[in-house]
Amino acid sequence: MMPEQFPIAFLFIIAGLIVAFIPQGRGRVSFTMLVPIFAAWMIWNLQPGVYGQVEFFGLPMEMMRVDKLSTIFGLVFCLASFIGNLYAWHVRDTVQQVAALLYAGSAIGAVFAGDLVTLFIYWEGTALASVFLIWARRTEGAYYTGLRYLIIQVGSGVILLAGIVLLHGETGSITFEKMTLGSLATWLIFLAFGIKCAFPLLHNWLQDSYPAATITGTVILSAFTTKLAVYALARGFPGTEILIYIGAVMTLFPIFFAEIENDLRRVLAYSLNNQLGFMVVGIGIGTELSLNGTAAHAFAHILYKGLLFMSVGAVMYRTGTSKASELGGLYRTMPITAICCLVGAASISAFPLFSGFVSKSLILDASASNGYTLVWIALVFASAGVLSHSGIKIPFFAFFAHDSGKRPKEAPTHMLIAMVFTAFLCIFIGVFPEPLYALLPYPVDFQPYTTSHVVGQLQLLLFALLAFCVLMRTGIHPPEIRAINLDSDWTYRKFAPMVITKIAAVFSSVWTYQTTFWLGTFDRIVEGFYHSHGPEGRIARVWPTGAMVLWIAILLAGTLLVSFY
Amino acid sequence: MAKQTDPETLSWISRKLLWVDKPGSADKLFKILAVVCALLFLSEFTFHKHVIVAVENIPGFYGIFGFVMFTALILVAKMLRTIIKRPEDYYAPKAIDSEEYPQADTERLDHDA
Repeated sequence: MMPEQFPIAFLFIIAGLIVAFIPQGRGRVSFTMLVPIFAAWMIWNLQPGVYGQVEFFGLPMEMMRVDKLSTIFGLVFCLASFIGNLYAWHVRDTVQQVAALLYAGSAIGAVFAGDLVTLFIYWEGTALASVFLIWARRTEGAYYTGLRYLIIQVGSGVILLAGIVLLHGETGSITFEKMTLGSLATWLIFLAFGIKCAFPLLHNWLQDSYPAATITGTVILSAFTTKLAVYALARGFPGTEILIYIGAVMTLFPIFFAEIENDLRRVLAYSLNNQLGFMVVGIGIGTELSLNGTAAHAFAHILYKGLLFMSVGAVMYRTGTSKASELGGLYRTMPITAICCLVGAASISAFPLFSGFVSKSLILDASASNGYTLVWIALVFASAGVLSHSGIKIPFFAFFAHDSGKRPKEAPTHMLIAMVFTAFLCIFIGVFPEPLYALLPYPVDFQPYTTSHVVGQLQLLLFALLAFCVLMRTGIHPPEIRAINLDSDWTYRKFAPMVITKIAAVFSSVWTYQTTFWLGTFDRIVEGFYHSHGPEGRIARVWPTGAMVLWIAILLAGTLLVSFY
Repeated sequence: MAKQTDPETLSWISRKLLWVDKPGSADKLFKILAVVCALLFLSEFTFHKHVIVAVENIPGFYGIFGFVMFTALILVAKMLRTIIKRPEDYYAPKAIDSEEYPQADTERLDHDA
């Protein structure tokens, strides 16, 4: 078999099976880090084309479709897998090690899927593998959160499958290519992608589940599922106008929730949702510039979001909490983690010379130059919003602000290596965007570092920072308090169970009433018979005659009925 | 209670960063930021702006927009909190919010431990 015929996903799946047999320890962890490096090397050497074609129940399946769009997502998934496994060097939990490999493998398999059935299989693979990163926390809360996560993720797959079946009925093809919204089939597929992409009102699984995973699990979770959905949308629905507006709403609403959320990992989950919005807008515009923007932003985002999750994770590893109300002043004893967090914060806020700046600019430019002025305004506002929660809140309330009195030891060496490496990449991409631009699906003719652009962005960010300082000094900025906030998941976590409990209560009381009534009636009838026919009854006085008369009466009635018909 | 930590035990990076906690440092930072913002605003008049959307022509558009919208965001979020805030154990026991993170998965060491 030619090397390019070998699906990259199988590499991870085989590795996931082997890993359990390697003795637990450094050898095993090194192995989990080598797998993504080897996979990335294989992807790098792939020539564009379609490989691994097999027949499956008469359906032509394409395991490996290699082009620039699938390659950049494949590469960044390998990179994320490598960084995540390095960060998890200390973890000695087979469940998490296997799940991390299978999860990355499924995501990569889905990215290279040339047909929808292959996509579906890996789509569900990511759901099944990733839930173990949540369950691996091994608490009651994590168990229930994992169940909610799994139901929604698998549900997305089921909807996808329904769409595929209908589409096959309509067109006779299962090739995964550009689709146009119109039929029920394409809408179902769109909805399935939308659930995984955390569209507004379909988003809450993200904020619910990511803070519930293990420290290392969240870092790994943050890279794959949602970016796979972004890839699927970019492949299946580029230029679908509704995505522009969905994306714009996605950039906006999470910034309000992120601002008042106390759990920093949930703040990052809201922030992730907001960043996905930018990518979705890029897909909706659908020009070469904007699709490049989406791919570039996904690449940069996986790195800086991973970095932010890693730095908060390191804090959690040393203090046991990620709640802003319990943290503060940690820069004294965790300075390298603090600086890495600041680099991640600067990258996500798109400060010039950091990765977010060179990727987000493509999308903003595309929205402005294609006449979507209102959307552009929304995105600029959302950019200031990103600064507020990811740029300021995360580093400020964890590492600076008031002194919590906590003096945790600096993060362990392997975590520092993973964070410094990622921070380096964030700055490298920001300073030298060309290598990233070269990986993008279309040729890039874009210069992010123009004077207008740099000054405009710096104004936006620094004046927003100034506003933050003013609000802090005047005491208007909301304090961090121990509380949670309701979001649309309230509907299925509280409201629906409440309604169902009410309905169940009504039904159960009706049922109880009915049964007592009928049982009572039956009892009375039996008692009545007993009274008249029982051993003490009136008829019992002439028992043999009485019984005889009764049976003859029944017999006569039967005969009458038979002869009548 | 804030513990007193001997600066000598901290790494050189931390000792440099300790400056931010000195009295008056926050004021200094704030003033520097204000000056940088003012300079950024003035710098707009020194070069020809490349503009895609008409509103970008307003002098200091990005600065004003950033300041106003950031403030608006915080105020709206603050109002939103009064409506949607709930106690941490609201969804308990089916959520992790009121749970302790498992000790076994962490290595909670103090700096001088």
